[in-house]
Amino acid sequence: MAGSNRFLSLLYRKLSSLRTSVYVLGVLCIFYVIGTIFPQGGDINEYEKAGGRFLEAVRLFNLLDVFNTPWFLVPAFVLFLNVSVCTYDRFLRIRARRGAAPAAYSPDCTVHLALTRAEAEEEVSRILTRKMRFKVLRTGTDWTVMEKGLSYRWLTWLYHAGIAISFVGFFISGLFVREGIITLRPGEEVEIVSTMPENRGWLVPSDHSPPGFKLVLDEFITEYTESPRLDYPKDKRSRVAIALGWKDLSYRLDEDSFFPKDWFSRLRVVRDGSTLYEKKIEVNDPLRFEGYTFYQLAYEQRLKLRVGERLVEAEAGKKVDIPSIGTLRFGPLRTGTLFRLDGTTDKITPFVTVKRLSGGKTEELGRLVLNGHIRVGKSKLSLVDFEESSVLSYRYDPGVPILWVAGSIVFAVMTLRCFGRWYELAYRVEERDGTTSLLISIRSKGLGADPARVIRRLSHHLPGVRS
Amino acid sequence: MSQELILSRDAYLLTVEVRLFWLVALVYAFSALVLLFHILTRRVGIGRAAQGMMWAGMILHLGWIALRIFEGGRAPFQTLYESLSWFACTAVLTYLVVSRKWRDIYLPATFVAALSSGACFYALLSRSPAVPPLSPPLQSYWFEWHVVLAFFSYAVFVVSSSIEVTYLIVKPFLNRGADEVFGLTRSNIREFRGTAFNLVLFGFPLLTFAIFSGAAWANEAWGRYWSWDPKETWSLITWSVFTMYLHAMSIPKWRGNVASALNILGFVCMMMTFLGVNWLAKLLGIPSLHLYAV
Repeated sequence: MAGSNRFLSLLYRKLSSLRTSVYVLGVLCIFYVIGTIFPQGGDINEYEKAGGRFLEAVRLFNLLDVFNTPWFLVPAFVLFLNVSVCTYDRFLRIRARRGAAPAAYSPDCTVHLALTRAEAEEEVSRILTRKMRFKVLRTGTDWTVMEKGLSYRWLTWLYHAGIAISFVGFFISGLFVREGIITLRPGEEVEIVSTMPENRGWLVPSDHSPPGFKLVLDEFITEYTESPRLDYPKDKRSRVAIALGWKDLSYRLDEDSFFPKDWFSRLRVVRDGSTLYEKKIEVNDPLRFEGYTFYQLAYEQRLKLRVGERLVEAEAGKKVDIPSIGTLRFGPLRTGTLFRLDGTTDKITPFVTVKRLSGGKTEELGRLVLNGHIRVGKSKLSLVDFEESSVLSYRYDPGVPILWVAGSIVFAVMTLRCFGRWYELAYRVEERDGTTSLLISIRSKGLGADPARVIRRLSHHLPGVRS
Repeated sequence: MSQELILSRDAYLLTVEVRLFWLVALVYAFSALVLLFHILTRRVGIGRAAQGMMWAGMILHLGWIALRIFEGGRAPFQTLYESLSWFACTAVLTYLVVSRKWRDIYLPATFVAALSSGACFYALLSRSPAVPPLSPPLQSYWFEWHVVLAFFSYAVFVVSSSIEVTYLIVKPFLNRGADEVFGLTRSNIREFRGTAFNLVLFGFPLLTFAIFSGAAWANEAWGRYWSWDPKETWSLITWSVFTMYLHAMSIPKWRGNVASALNILGFVCMMMTFLGVNWLAKLLGIPSLHLYAV
């Protein structure tokens, strides 16, 4: 019994120690570095094919998913315990401190006054409390102790508590998160079922049912701006020549100087055929519904082509083999609105750039406009139609609200702690050989604190200060 | 205005801007050289002149930033070319503001001026000065706050580590009995080193907010507040190292060389977060969500 008590007491001491925090943070840093050296989430076979090194160690320690291994999770949990125990321990200590008997103070400065001891005590107390807004902490003993500003101890405690709560948020995310990707075609009602393997929290069953609503894409909109190309030399000497004024810079507009300005999906949430919610989403402005959030991730464009009398489908931005023509690569389909440099806007006639790949060479075939055609050898290639789909990522994560609250507490309180000011001023009035002296001890915390200024102000307000 | 006129106007402005940036880089480099001369001769007047040059370079640099804002119509820290310039400017500005506390101490300035001119030359010689439009993920109210505060924290950590390095260089001489080394004496060196701690105390909430705002932004844009992306991970490493430093400063036995080493390590990690991680991601072929900043 005594042994287990001793062990628990030792454990408590270790977990409430600052040194433990430093050591555990150091250990975690090693794992963080490992996580940036080995591609996280990668496949071991792909890693091997790409010539990845230290294969045995990577396999043995699961280094391609290091942040989900016990080697990382155990020290992370120890850090959580450390922060939580420190927070609890500091709470007890701060409470115990309040009202405790004053410790001995060594004076930082002494001010001689042409007042009696009683007058000096009254004046100092009046100036500090009324003019300088100090609060009395302890009095009635040798030293009177006063405080000004938000207590740095409570602030420090509070942001550590915020960090401990953040861990709870991470933990809830890890248990309950659901995230995946869905692709929406215009007008189609789609269930929230990921087209890729869904990333699930540890407590989410693999056969969980999707939410009871569906999504419909009513419209997909793309907007472009004209982005001129800068003729800038690659070699360093030519760049120096520009600096010396021997050469000027110039811009040019190419045939496809289109820069995606934004893309939007007009979405509708439906249940049993009735619309529950509508929103036009874009990157940085997702749709939120019943705990799920839908993000504009990307888009897919399918091209319907005609080669002679045959219809062929191809995906924009990818390669396609077409018999009698060879391998073609289509650029992204440009459609929607173009915002020109001169401030005007144009409706883009949909087009795609086409290249032919043969024997390691790339041949530019030009622009293929909707309902137009280009000649490739003896064949006629036409773009007859296209279809755009919106790719959304979705996420259900009950940990996020906790993290918002905890993160805001951490930041706000840490800012107050670091930039604010806190003073603890202790003073004693002495009378010796007919001379009255004010002994001051002052401690401060925070970048805004200036103890010398406090003493200057006190001396300025005090009557009868002797030099 | 016709498109041709717009293009030639933009090209002219960019040419002026690039030449101004070269001038800024040269002024910083020249002040670093003069500061080296100050180290060799130990003449205070030379150090003072070099610091004056840094002021001149910084004022020109602020002009460059104003011009870049006018050209792009947005805050100038989208590309690595812009971020390197912003990094150099904030580092020099922070140093010049902080150094007003001291008299005739110029050793940290050598480090700051050399680093800033290096950042400017790297931008000029290796990156393109083109002003691209803002891509959709960057069109967020978090963009300015996240980047401005992250870079201010970087600037503060640069100056803090320059003070820490100066302290480590000077301390052995003072311990061996020297009265004064590069403006530092036994009576002022403690307060001088205290500035390094205060700077970390200043930069730490900024870095915390940069990480927090980055996570909030990622949550809005990509649907994930944390992806263990190399840049995110290195920012967490930097934050952890500075946390270790601040805790070490509360442990009497570690307040000396251990804390100094952690402060300098924090600076190294910060440089990894800013630049090294791009190199690492390229070298190891690790995809990064922050590659638009390359």
